[in-house]
Amino acid sequence: MAARMVLSEDEAVELVAFLVTAARTQVDEAAEYGSLRLLTAAGRLGELIAERVSPETRALLTGPLKQIPELAVRTADPAAYVAALDGLCGAVGQHLVTHFGLERKGP
Amino acid sequence: MTNPVLETIRTRRVARALTGEPIAREAFEEVLKAARWAPSAGNRRLHRFIAIQDPLTLRLLRMVTPGMFQRPAAIVVICIDRAKAASFGMRPNAKGLFVDVGTAAQTMLLAAHSLGLGSGVVTSFSQAAVSAVLNMPEGLSPEMFICLGHAAPTQPPGMPARGQVTWKTLTQWERFPKSSTG
Repeated sequence: MAARMVLSEDEAVELVAFLVTAARTQVDEAAEYGSLRLLTAAGRLGELIAERVSPETRALLTGPLKQIPELAVRTADPAAYVAALDGLCGAVGQHLVTHFGLERKGP
Repeated sequence: MTNPVLETIRTRRVARALTGEPIAREAFEEVLKAARWAPSAGNRRLHRFIAIQDPLTLRLLRMVTPGMFQRPAAIVVICIDRAKAASFGMRPNAKGLFVDVGTAAQTMLLAAHSLGLGSGVVTSFSQAAVSAVLNMPEGLSPEMFICLGHAAPTQPPGMPARGQVTWKTLTQWERFPKSSTG
C-alpha cells in the first residue's frame, strides 16, 4: 500500500512548486487568500492520489474536500466560511480516527 | 444603447475552466496585435509581451502560479521593461507602469472575447520563478498573465459578489457634498 501511495516525482515537484510560490505570493496578497491557497494545495494533492487510495479516503477527497468552492473566501460570508471549514475539518478528523484505527484501540 | 463594442464589453467574463483545445495561431496573433493599440503613458511603450503556446512551458508556469486555476492553451506574459523605464527617469513603482499593464490586459481580454476565446488574468505567481522558467533577461519583470483558451461549457463559481455593484454605485457625479468630506 505504502509503495503505491508515493507520488511520482513530477507530481511531487509540482506540489512543492505550488506551495513554495504560494508562500511568496501570499506576502503581497490579501490575508484571506492564505486559506484559499492551502485548500487549493489540498485539493490538488487529493486529485493526484484519489485513484490510489482506499475507498474511504477517496470518499473524503471527492466528498467533503470538494464541498468548498475553489474560489471561496472568508469576507463574502465569514460565518458560513468558518462553518464550512469546520465541517471539512470535522470530516478529516473523523476519517483519521477510522483510517488509523483509533476506535479499535479502545479508550 | 448598444453596439458591437459595448456588447463585447458587457458579455466578457473570466473563463476559469478551459477545454484544453489549442487556439489557432492566427487568433493568438490577433490578440497580441490588439495589445499594440492599448494606451501607453507618454507613448513610451515600456511593456513587452511574451507569447507562450508550448505545452511544457505552460505546465511549468502553472506550477509556479498559485492563482492559476485554469489550464490555458496559451499565455501572454505582460512584462515591464524596467531598463527602458529607468532610461526615462521613471521610478520602479511609478503608477504609469502598472496602469499600462492594465490597459494592455483589458485590450487583450476584449480582443480575445471578440474572437470567441475564453480568457482571464492572473497575477498570483512568483516573479522569480517565472523569470527562471522563461529565461528572462535582466531588467524585464513579469507582471501579469493573460490566460487564453476555449471556455468550457460549465464554469466554476467565480469570486462571490460583495454587495450589489452597478455603474451608479461606482460613480460620483461632480464634486462630493460638503458633509462627506467633513
